[in-house]
Amino acid sequence: MKSGFILKAVMHTLKHRKGAFLISVFAIACAFTFLSAVGSVTFGLAASAVNSSLKYPLIVGPEGSSDTQLVMSTIFSIDKPRAKVSYDVYKELKKDPRVVAAYPMARADSIKGVPIVGVNNEFIRDLNEGFFQFKKGLDPDNIFDEKDMFRAVVGYKISEKYGLKLGSRFVGSHGSVGDPGAHVHAEFTYTVVAVMNSVHGPEDFLVYSSVPSVWKIHDHDHHHHHGHGHEDGDHHEKVEHEHDHDKDGDHHEKAEHDHDKDGDHHEAEHEHEHDKDGDHHEDEHGHEHTAGIHHEDGDHHEDEHGHDHDKKSAFEDPMDVRTNELSAILVRTKNPVATSELEREYSTRDGSTATDTGKTIRRIVQYMNKAENVAGMFSYGTLFIVLVMVFVTILMSINERKKEMALMRTLGIGRRSISLMVMIETIITTFLGVLLGVAIGHFALWYFKPLIDMNLGINLEPFIFTSIEVQGIFITLIAGQLLALLGMLRIYRMNLIEEVARD
Amino acid sequence: MNIEVKGISKSFESPDGSRVDVLKDVGFSLKKGAVLKLNGASGSGKSTLLNIISGLLLPDSGSVKMKGIEVNSLKESRRDSFRAENIGYIFQTFNLLSPFNVMENIYAPSAFAGTLKPGFKEKTVKILKEVGLEDHEKSMPFHLSVGQRQRVAVARVLFTEYPLILADEPTASLDRVSSETVLKSLLKCHDKGSIIIFASHDPLFDSLNPDMIFDLEKGGLL
Repeated sequence: MKSGFILKAVMHTLKHRKGAFLISVFAIACAFTFLSAVGSVTFGLAASAVNSSLKYPLIVGPEGSSDTQLVMSTIFSIDKPRAKVSYDVYKELKKDPRVVAAYPMARADSIKGVPIVGVNNEFIRDLNEGFFQFKKGLDPDNIFDEKDMFRAVVGYKISEKYGLKLGSRFVGSHGSVGDPGAHVHAEFTYTVVAVMNSVHGPEDFLVYSSVPSVWKIHDHDHHHHHGHGHEDGDHHEKVEHEHDHDKDGDHHEKAEHDHDKDGDHHEAEHEHEHDKDGDHHEDEHGHEHTAGIHHEDGDHHEDEHGHDHDKKSAFEDPMDVRTNELSAILVRTKNPVATSELEREYSTRDGSTATDTGKTIRRIVQYMNKAENVAGMFSYGTLFIVLVMVFVTILMSINERKKEMALMRTLGIGRRSISLMVMIETIITTFLGVLLGVAIGHFALWYFKPLIDMNLGINLEPFIFTSIEVQGIFITLIAGQLLALLGMLRIYRMNLIEEVARD
Repeated sequence: MNIEVKGISKSFESPDGSRVDVLKDVGFSLKKGAVLKLNGASGSGKSTLLNIISGLLLPDSGSVKMKGIEVNSLKESRRDSFRAENIGYIFQTFNLLSPFNVMENIYAPSAFAGTLKPGFKEKTVKILKEVGLEDHEKSMPFHLSVGQRQRVAVARVLFTEYPLILADEPTASLDRVSSETVLKSLLKCHDKGSIIIFASHDPLFDSLNPDMIFDLEKGGLL
């Protein structure tokens, strides 16, 4: 009964002093909301990064790229690739017995700032999460087809955000937002043929198209730059195009076959756009519009028919007849030894560099952990200030209740019971503050998840308890106990009888 | 229960650093059901003596013996529990615990001491009726008038049936009706055998017919 009544007394006291009590609880809750958010967001970033490293242990990219830049531009599609790696490297990797799978990756356009990444059918197939929406009649393992080059597969979150549903058509803009050379490619219209289920990774925030579609745009840009001498901002691309021009002659001849195939497609489905495109280029670019003319050239059609039997394989591996460049190659290796060997080999040769995704991501995560630590320090700083505030509130409460405590003493209620009451009050205040803060923090994360996911390109798990948060809970509860003990000491030192005498 | 107060002296330090003797060699003994009135002007040491008897304050010298126990030599926690079981204390004002309602204020000391007996709520209701507060069971102290609060304090004394009741100017700020209720309640306690030691200038309290009057200014029994 005694302990029950002490608890009842505590509840009565908290109710009686609900103003100070609620302010204390709310202050702790606010600090904890901050801590929960910091923990969950950094955890989401790290988890997303680590998952990606498991999927693609090796990334091969252009020579001169840094490890971090390769990972950031391929896994997270943050920042643009700065150079190109030859498609031959991809072919070589694909043949390598140490490689389980290699995926070419080419980036050019974007839609509303979301990168359109050129990949192949294997990449989409191996993501293996199924489709939320899928165009009837298509083979899910061969979505990208040379007959309809500008097919797009949209990540789940991007589909949700921009309403890119099955059948939606859109044009990409060349270059990223803010790029001085950025311009819209009205002549290349993408059609959404599939929306992927969420893969809970950066893929949810991307738009995928075929590598050839990306090269088509690159070819276009290449000529476009020549004609205008555009300051594109993407100097590497421009320089490489100019540099490879002689080689390109060769390449163009070879490429014509594919262009013809594209020509077929364009004539069949985008006749008006194509004509317009042709007019436009002739008006503005004169001689350089050879690619456009090629599409309408009957000879090439014959030529294309000649290669018809080889169509599928040509599409699956079509880039050797195009500009032969990729942004990067994602590689699944047989084992860590293979990853290490391939990394060394492809880093030491001309024209490419390679990074062990796991190692690089560990470095990035370590860096993020530092950022988390800094954010955590701010959170703990806030929490410390709040706890000091709570302690001041407790002391004020004790001072205000001196008389009442003195009266309790006259009623035979001992210091121990009174101190116990103050201790329980403090513990309840900190506990409720923590509980409320954790609840608000996680529900806020749940509520703002779409916004956070979209802006950070992560798949936030709003109801996961992170280490920083668990630490915070323990620290706050222990600090609450210490505050309670200090409160008890204060009561023990007080001469409550003076209060009675003063009465 | 008898009470024996022997050679109690107490001095305090004054603001100028000198010691002021408030009580000097105070002594008396009371038997069960006795009533003692403390006389003396303000500052004569009435409250100090009551605090020493209750065990709230320790004397510089002397002893207070109740139930054969020297209360002032007990450890603080034992003194607290002894007080909770044996001594009811009524002050001029501020007798109630603000977070508790009227009923809870009445049985709080017993509840904290862990000595509540079954039927305590019925007993509380009955006592509240006796002091004219039957409609205020759930009222909070701040909803009550000064007179009503004092009646709750007296109801608490009636509830616990303390063998010793100390009252320090219990009716000083009360109206006639409330003062009469307080007095009636104390008389009831007296009838049940409680020792009552009170300090009051209220002539109404003469009807308590004190067995002894102790004049603190003169330093002896009258």
